[in-house]
Amino acid sequence: MAKYITKRILMSVVTLFIIIFTLFVLVRIMPGDPFPVERMTAEMIELKRIELGLDRPIPIQFADYMAKLLQGDLGNGTSLYNGAPIMPIILVCMENSFKIGVMSILFGSGVGLMMGIAAALNRGKFIDRFCTICSILGVCVPSYVFMIFLQYFFAYKIPFFPYFFDPSNFFFSAIMPAVSLSLISIATVARFTRNEMLEVLDSDYVKLAKSRGLYGFKLIRKHVLRNALIPVVTVIAPLVVDLLTGAMVMEKIYGVNGLGKLMVDAIAGEGIDYNYVLALSILFSSLYIGIMLILDILYVIIDPRIRLTAKEKV
Amino acid sequence: MKPKLKRFFIFPLIGLLFLVTACGRGTSENELKVMLGSTVVTLDTAHMQDSYSFEVVADCIDGLMQLDEKGNAIPAIAESFEVSADGKEYTFHLRDAKWSNGDPVTAHDFVFAWRRHCKIADEYSFIFDSTVACIKNAEAVIKGADPSTLGVTAKDDKTLVVSLDAPVSFFPALMSFPSFYPINEKFYNSVKEGSYGTSPDTFISNGAFTLDSYIPGTANIALKKNESYWDANRVSLNMLRYQVVSSSDNALTAFKNGTLQVVKIAGEQVEHIKSDSELSKQLSFIPEGSLYYIAFNQDPKNHHGGVLANVNMRLAITNAIDRNSLVKNYLMDGSLPTYTAVPQKFSANVKTGKFFSENQDRYKDYVSFNLEKAREHLDKAKKELNRDEFNIHLLYSNDSGDRITKIVQAVKSQLEANLPGLTVTLQPVPKAEYLRNFSTDNFDIAVANWSPDYDDPMTFLNLWTTSNAKSTEYWSSAEYDKIISDCSTDNLAINYDARWDAMYKAEKILFEQAVIAPLFTNTNVILTSPKVSGIEYHTAGVDRVFKSAKVK
Amino acid sequence: MENNYTPVKEDFRFLPRRDSVEDAHLASTDYWKNVARQFAKDKFALLGAALIVFVILFAIFAPLLSFYEYDEIVATTDATGAEVVAKSLSPQFAGGATGYFSDKTFLFGTDDMGRDLWTRTWHGARVSLLIAFVAILIDMIIGMSYGLISGYFGGVCDNLMQRFIEIIGCIPTLVIISVLAIFMTKGIGLVIAALLITEWIGMSKIARAECLKLKEREYVLASRTLGAGNFHIMFKQILPNIVGPVITQVMFSIPVAIFTEAFLSFVGVGIVLPQCSVGSLIEAGFNNITILPYQIMPPIFVLAFLMLGFNLVGDGLRRALSPKIGDV
Repeated sequence: MAKYITKRILMSVVTLFIIIFTLFVLVRIMPGDPFPVERMTAEMIELKRIELGLDRPIPIQFADYMAKLLQGDLGNGTSLYNGAPIMPIILVCMENSFKIGVMSILFGSGVGLMMGIAAALNRGKFIDRFCTICSILGVCVPSYVFMIFLQYFFAYKIPFFPYFFDPSNFFFSAIMPAVSLSLISIATVARFTRNEMLEVLDSDYVKLAKSRGLYGFKLIRKHVLRNALIPVVTVIAPLVVDLLTGAMVMEKIYGVNGLGKLMVDAIAGEGIDYNYVLALSILFSSLYIGIMLILDILYVIIDPRIRLTAKEKV
Repeated sequence: MKPKLKRFFIFPLIGLLFLVTACGRGTSENELKVMLGSTVVTLDTAHMQDSYSFEVVADCIDGLMQLDEKGNAIPAIAESFEVSADGKEYTFHLRDAKWSNGDPVTAHDFVFAWRRHCKIADEYSFIFDSTVACIKNAEAVIKGADPSTLGVTAKDDKTLVVSLDAPVSFFPALMSFPSFYPINEKFYNSVKEGSYGTSPDTFISNGAFTLDSYIPGTANIALKKNESYWDANRVSLNMLRYQVVSSSDNALTAFKNGTLQVVKIAGEQVEHIKSDSELSKQLSFIPEGSLYYIAFNQDPKNHHGGVLANVNMRLAITNAIDRNSLVKNYLMDGSLPTYTAVPQKFSANVKTGKFFSENQDRYKDYVSFNLEKAREHLDKAKKELNRDEFNIHLLYSNDSGDRITKIVQAVKSQLEANLPGLTVTLQPVPKAEYLRNFSTDNFDIAVANWSPDYDDPMTFLNLWTTSNAKSTEYWSSAEYDKIISDCSTDNLAINYDARWDAMYKAEKILFEQAVIAPLFTNTNVILTSPKVSGIEYHTAGVDRVFKSAKVK
Repeated sequence: MENNYTPVKEDFRFLPRRDSVEDAHLASTDYWKNVARQFAKDKFALLGAALIVFVILFAIFAPLLSFYEYDEIVATTDATGAEVVAKSLSPQFAGGATGYFSDKTFLFGTDDMGRDLWTRTWHGARVSLLIAFVAILIDMIIGMSYGLISGYFGGVCDNLMQRFIEIIGCIPTLVIISVLAIFMTKGIGLVIAALLITEWIGMSKIARAECLKLKEREYVLASRTLGAGNFHIMFKQILPNIVGPVITQVMFSIPVAIFTEAFLSFVGVGIVLPQCSVGSLIEAGFNNITILPYQIMPPIFVLAFLMLGFNLVGDGLRRALSPKIGDV
């Protein structure tokens, strides 16, 4: 197994390297100027390009960038925020995005799990119908509509929550953004949990446990939940990446200084900032690949069947 | 099993209760909360290029001069100044002002900042050179010469001498512009390279406020009153908070529930407020002095067969646009339909007190809304080009907000209805791409927008000279260039009236040849809470000043 | 003993078709008929199908029968000859309203440019439906084959193909769209191209997982022993047996595709004005949501109907195809 895990990790590193290279090339061929200026002459811009080393061949630029990256240096912006070091700015945005993301994941998967379990245990009854309708609505209504309504009703009509996000009053002002983001995870998790639960409830070993006189909460907890929740984790994982990396529209509506907004600024703002786009994309990809890696390894540890096929593959 | 299930519903309820009992934060005394239309990109004056950054840095730093509420230059860090007889040398005497770290503000701080500005040679460095401030040797330094040759010297700690290549009539007012603000050299050298002005720790002020919380691009900025400000008595606010809001609807609701006390709204929201008797009293219309216009790419080889190189085609277009309808039906914010190259309510003549573009009928033979004339020109153009059908692309930047998307759609619909045979295809691109296409003449027609940098018509007329870097529109006229350059050098610079007339002459050339089709002068619609007073608005340079603002 | 007899053609004869002797009772339990019957019994699924049909019918016929063009700005002139535009009128019937446009009917009102929202909404629904069908094609053609090939061949091939998916999945959509914009003009084509690049990933994962399960089955082994080619096995033997999960996945990926288009329009890289999609209409209504809420309602409802429809049909199909899960 150790061999499989090492191999899997190595593979992820290689993938990440290819991703970084692909992004590096893509970002440099993206349309739009890194120097979106109205008042500078062409020679002045050319001088800037040379100063930033953008006139060199791409492989050399890439080698240079990788060398810095491996030392943990994301470099300075090329145009956004006037070449200030990227790291402190990304850290601040990351903190906001991650905190709100974690809040929304906890809330979303918590409520989703409860709804899914309640629905499965009451199959066909009112609670089931109610939860199914809720989860379908959650998928049907665009989340930005939900955000606007939350903001309109709970910050304007009933002025209880702060209208905008405010880092100095973090928890309280982050509630609305987090709840509005969690809508989609509630719906997904609830639906998935319900289906997994039903499958497990129908399985032979639960029937066996029942026949041995096991009933009620103990049965659910010991035999059903444990088996039903493993697949649920696989649905939550990609959601985690999406939520952690920020939601552009949410950040726009609530005025959050987060990663999504930073990405939009870096691509569609005044100019394209090569280094910001790269730094953010690398962050997103590492998160995604990292989580996939952990999931794969967890699978091997948890589920012996996968371990077998994995060995075959190796 | 039933009772246990109830637990599943009790948990979220308890959770909700917890959320509800968490408490909010009160507002402190004398705190003003203001909306900002976009994020503040930098506080480093040498890199600055947008009006929001100018506004926030002007809250924190004072230059040599400042503008009073009417827009006249009054002393700030400079206590007084003298001009030499030929108008080419200014001597500023500095008052005893302090930086927020306790250092005195000296003439060396200005020399350091100005030299650095020219050396970095970013977007606004042009303001030092012969097109605007005419500071000696500025052009050479911007192109890489030794910064110490720049025409600015510190005679002693409190005396700053500036030498110019030519007299500049608006020089004292120009000194209130952020590009000319000082930077404390000692402090600058103490922060990590590239991080000056990126956080409260890497920025010091000598102005009305100090930075409390800021990071580039943040949506919330907080400024605190600077107790060591030389004019601290004038400042009554303890706290000035900025919140970035991008939608007008969002701004309106935030204003209504008291989250923000000063917001800018547009479009339908203005209409909505006008119909509300209570809120409409809090509405003010402030001309911004920025011009929206259509630029024509006259390159005969452009990808639509160069139809816009034909002057009749351009005249047809400019006469087929109903600017009144644009402003009244789509913008709805009191913007002014404009038929001149210099926007309305901008740059008053010091002698008559009249604005440069007071007379909007001056060029009405060339630019107006006149369908007959438009069709006449179109017919001529069709004959000359030997074609009946034209398809042109209208380039615009799609991240500049809702108003511009409305304007382009309306212009498209008007042109297609009024000029048979013409079809317009909208071509939205992000701002960065827009600027690149615009400056490399890769467009047919484009909706452009220019805001003045200083209070003189030249800030607009300079745009269409051959040497101008960006908005060439593939048009060049030796006659026009000559007039413009004469206006900023000796010949005309000293004779106020003659210069004024020359500028009208230049403007006329623009319209005879229909180089641009002006659309409207932008107006900002501001909602101000009745508790707030004393905010000063300016058309050029720094848009808003909060030094005398008060909250009841 | 020598037997040199070589069989000639006449020695063989055709048997009658085996099907013809099949038990009539067995035939009636045919898998697909069963599925259809299950589906028809499912009230929710039928409701979903009805919603989709409803939106499709309106999207086809409403713009055809409308008095206005989707990009037509309704305007008139007032007494002084100045242009008055029928902007931001709440829903009205001819005769039941006041003002310059009292003789006009706007079922959903007009937008802030003076265009009829009824026409625009259904015109926008067309775009969203187009996206939905493109998503189906992409899923079925690219996603399914990719997953099948990756799962079937396994080993190095599978590994490489999965890494490729990871790489594509990691590039932000905004970057993809920006790069694609170099090669094509903005608009619906660009959105579809972006979907082409990322949309099929989910489907390929499902197809691969199913294929991994099935490829070790006896019947696959049998047909391989009989000399069937790889592609024959993949598409003739395995494919028919994974149709259930595949169709379900398609139904769920349609809403995702519609949402992606709506999101792209919302952040301003989608459709080009004055063309409209449901997403761009929501974005436009969003600017006035608190003061003119009727402008955002129609597109939101159409979007919600479509989402609801495809989700319900997807759920219904899943129940009908694999009767183990859910209500039997």
